[in-house]
Amino acid sequence: MKEPYEKPLIKKVQVGLSNKFGSVYGRHLRPEIDGVPISDLVSRFGSPLFVFSERRLREKYRQIYQMFSTRYPNVHFSWSYKTNYLDAICAILHQEGETAEVVSEFEYEKARRLGVPGSEIIFNGPYKPISALKRAVQEGALINIDHFDEIYDLEDIAEELGNSIKVGIRLNMDTGISPQWTRFGFNLESGQALDAAKRIVSGGKLILSGLHCHLGTFLLEPRAYAKAIEKMVDFAYELEDNFGLKIEYLDIGGGFPSRNRLKGIYLSPEIAVPPMEDFAEAICDTLLSKLKPNDFPKLILETGRAIVDEAGFLITTVHASKRLPDGTRSYVVDAGVNILFTAFWYNFKVELEEDIPGPAEPCIIYGPLCMNIDVVAENVQLPPLPRGTRLIFSPVGAYNVTQWMQFIRYRPAVVLVGEDGQVDVIREAETLDDVINRERLPERLVLKMS
Amino acid sequence: MKTTFQSDKKIIQKEIILEEQKLILKKIRSFWGYFRTIANSYSEIFFFENFWLGLLLLAATFIYPNIGLSGLICVLSAYEFARFLGLKKIFRGSGFYTYNPLLVGLSIGYLFKLSLFSFFLIVTAGILTFIITFGLANIFYHFFRLPVLNIPFVLISTAIYLASYKYSNLLFTEFKTWSFLIDVAEHLPIWFLGLTQSLGALLFCPHFIGGLIFLTVIFLASRILFVLAVGGYFLGLLILSFLEGSIYQAASNLGAFNFSLIAMAIGGVFLIPSPKSYILAALSVAISPFLLDASTFFWAQYGIPSFTLPFNVVVLSLLYTLGLAGFPLLASYYRGSPERTLDHYLSYLARFPGTLRTLSLPVAGEWTVWQSFDGSWTHKGIWRYAVDFVITDENGQTYHGDGIYLDDYYCFGKPVLSPVRGRVVSLANDIEDNPPGTVNETQNWGNYVLIYDERGFYVLLAHFRKDSIKVKEGQWVEQGQILGQCGSSGYSPQPHLHVQVQLTPELGAPTQPFSFVHYAVLKHNSLIYKANDIPKEGELVQGLYPDKAMENMMSLVLDQEMTFEFIVNGIPQKQISFKVHMDTDGTYYLAQKHDSLYFNKFEGTFYFLRHDGQAIWFKMLFLALPRMPLVYQKGLVWEDFLPLETFYGRVKRAFYTFLASFNHRLAEIKGIYEFSAPNQIKGKISQGGEEIKTQVILDSLKGFVQEVVLDSKKYKLSLRRLS
Repeated sequence: MKEPYEKPLIKKVQVGLSNKFGSVYGRHLRPEIDGVPISDLVSRFGSPLFVFSERRLREKYRQIYQMFSTRYPNVHFSWSYKTNYLDAICAILHQEGETAEVVSEFEYEKARRLGVPGSEIIFNGPYKPISALKRAVQEGALINIDHFDEIYDLEDIAEELGNSIKVGIRLNMDTGISPQWTRFGFNLESGQALDAAKRIVSGGKLILSGLHCHLGTFLLEPRAYAKAIEKMVDFAYELEDNFGLKIEYLDIGGGFPSRNRLKGIYLSPEIAVPPMEDFAEAICDTLLSKLKPNDFPKLILETGRAIVDEAGFLITTVHASKRLPDGTRSYVVDAGVNILFTAFWYNFKVELEEDIPGPAEPCIIYGPLCMNIDVVAENVQLPPLPRGTRLIFSPVGAYNVTQWMQFIRYRPAVVLVGEDGQVDVIREAETLDDVINRERLPERLVLKMS
Repeated sequence: MKTTFQSDKKIIQKEIILEEQKLILKKIRSFWGYFRTIANSYSEIFFFENFWLGLLLLAATFIYPNIGLSGLICVLSAYEFARFLGLKKIFRGSGFYTYNPLLVGLSIGYLFKLSLFSFFLIVTAGILTFIITFGLANIFYHFFRLPVLNIPFVLISTAIYLASYKYSNLLFTEFKTWSFLIDVAEHLPIWFLGLTQSLGALLFCPHFIGGLIFLTVIFLASRILFVLAVGGYFLGLLILSFLEGSIYQAASNLGAFNFSLIAMAIGGVFLIPSPKSYILAALSVAISPFLLDASTFFWAQYGIPSFTLPFNVVVLSLLYTLGLAGFPLLASYYRGSPERTLDHYLSYLARFPGTLRTLSLPVAGEWTVWQSFDGSWTHKGIWRYAVDFVITDENGQTYHGDGIYLDDYYCFGKPVLSPVRGRVVSLANDIEDNPPGTVNETQNWGNYVLIYDERGFYVLLAHFRKDSIKVKEGQWVEQGQILGQCGSSGYSPQPHLHVQVQLTPELGAPTQPFSFVHYAVLKHNSLIYKANDIPKEGELVQGLYPDKAMENMMSLVLDQEMTFEFIVNGIPQKQISFKVHMDTDGTYYLAQKHDSLYFNKFEGTFYFLRHDGQAIWFKMLFLALPRMPLVYQKGLVWEDFLPLETFYGRVKRAFYTFLASFNHRLAEIKGIYEFSAPNQIKGKISQGGEEIKTQVILDSLKGFVQEVVLDSKKYKLSLRRLS
């Protein structure tokens, strides 16, 4: 085979900002995903292509579920829809036993359409329109209240329906981490949460039966969760003792990290991200030591990213390569930040379909958009890549297929590799029709061209 | 002022009337109890309790008026004597203590003509028989756990017959009965005459009409007893005629009713009706002919019959032996007829397999039973009642990686929760965990916690991780409290948790059976609820903890009243109200008029126990919700076995129970139930060709149920809560 011609260049190799750990260089290869060759996937479904692995998804769920359930006897997982609400992904997790955690009427309707009964939906979020709230109440969903206005809304609904409604309230609190997400729920330390509880009890129409909190996102500190649990249990008993109610569940939310590499953190995720076991231990040990004996309120976890992120891959193809004026090698690939939204905060693992010879150097990978911000990866150690080389980005299972947008280009297909190797399209690639179907062109603007 | 006075007066008058009515009711009730006791003394001879059939038997004894009357006098005198002693309460309408006096009375009537003197003899014999019965029953029960049967009758009647030689002035010269009956008898086949006459002879009416009535009564009361009575007689007759060489001689032996009695007692009364009990019944009949002949011959020396002596000897000795042998089919609770006992036994055994030493699973999440009772490695001999737990993955492995480090094992370091509430008696916490594959042979139990449960037993949990135990000696622990972490100390080649129950506090004491409550078994992707059971080796189990909200929902408070609308095929029929009552033994039941539905909450499960009466709504509740786990778990499935009396009408039930006595599985009515939503339970009951779909909607605000629907091919019944 003839070596591709490369213009000779002398350059000092520099690995981003220097750090004392140095860089670990190794070629990462991924010729297949769960036994299905990358080339097969691309030839059948095109590039770019999102690929999810059913096996990895189920395994991860079971692993994490076991970590919690063998440490505390009443654990329930609720699938955070916003992380990934593709029907197939949700269906797998519902099969595994997760309920649905939604934060909008759209997600609520999607879950219901998928066949999740209202009673197995947790409805969170700061904006719940009255009509959505009413439907959720009627269908028996579990509602975690975010603010006082929502208490009033729910009381109105309770009055209208002539029934009491079981509700939870969302708390925010200081657990020693920053930023503190104080914009959601009622603040615990200021006494606002207690006020909310008092308001609910004195209203007489709502039954306070649960506490919810969500500390943040991609948290790397298990002790923050332990602290949160401690404060929630104390608060729950304060409520039970003072108002004679029963707190049936403690919903600790999510925010657990996946094995992804946040920008600005130099350590590899294997070192920087505490194992999930540590979170499970922190939460469950605190529960068992703080709770009264034989009182096991339901522990609800809304972990999204930690379960799905590592099950998702994005296959891209090198479209062009160029040298930047500062000498950095760069590549243009067919997937940009329009579909890989999490590229803004992660340094993904970039893998090659096959080994390519040549010295590796730090490269920058651009997406196909005609926008300066469209940078998919920086400082990736790559050998000289010929056109048409496939790069596989991971983990990309969380937030991308929900936060992606139809910007400039069509969104690609999403496929699922099943447990016995069959590949199913779980979302078709978009076409022009998908984009223009919603558009209406007033008659007077119709272009008259011959 | 005046009006209030008047109304006060009215109220007082009303109260007086009410009081009077109550008194009358009370009198009627006590009369009723009186009649029932008397009538049941008759039916008790044939091992059942039934007022009307008892009356029929009473009437039948009057075929010979002299005999019938003296029998009745004797029972009445025994009963009156018991009342005089203040022992009225022991009867409760049962004839248990009075059928011996009855038999004695009948035997006296057979011998003596009724006169002032024989009247005196009957009354005193009645009193004496009662005294002997009452005392002997106590002794037999206390020392041998045996019923007294009719030993008192044999003793007293023998005594009286012996004494009668001195009272020859009272003796009867001839039996008087209605003469037309005698003619008919001459045309009957010998086997029939033999059967009926000897059965009649049991009640001292050795006449085919008497025997025929008795047979009819037995048939009406219980088909199983009928078959046993007839079968027992003919088997005995066959052997007897074979031994004696003459069927005529055998058939004319009036003592042959002993065969029937033996067969009935062994085959259907003291043992659960089953092929095994029938075989034992046949064997007991087979060993009795020579006993009968011997005792007849011996007693005949003194000119008296041997009465029921062979029956008493054979049945009591066999029962005692079976008791010593721990025979599993001994009926611990006779419910008035073999059919009802069988039904109760079948549904009870299938419904409540566990023990009263109930533990909750000492772990959280899904664990695998590595070794259960009578395990193949170490759960043997006196340590056979123990369970070992590990955690496995999808491939059945207990570790990830190579399994060479303790940390590789899934269960290592997982919390161990107290399975009972009690006091920590002793513990060890400083024994090293063994590396995988090695064991500590000197300190078998490793780190352990021994808890005394005040119900009278000790629970030992062993092989804890070193230094992980969080409780102290003498500390009181609640069920579910964290004790420490699972480890691999002691005789433990891989990390696991060992649980056993013992009656003494020493390490290594013999183990005792126990059971786990409120857990689920994972099998083929479904989660099967177990209320009280012992998991088998290899089963994947998950502890469930009762949900407080659900427990509150299924709490029915005394005197609480609820109203339902009864709907058939969508057409409202009537409104019914239930009220919660407590029975004298502390059990609770729902009542509507005379019908009652007993329920109970035990260790996290709500049960309906049984229902009395024929109320369709109570049957509906029972069928739709025979039990309910007090915790919601999506897709949780459970099964229950329904008593035949809940499922079938009278005739069908009689038929099925009779069949079931030959094969117990024929009477298994299995219902399968599932949580289809947090407040909804769907069920399916199938038996034979019939299938009923049930649905219950729970009422989380008012408590208990909101709606019950029973749907079969033929009809759709529903109960809808009104208040």
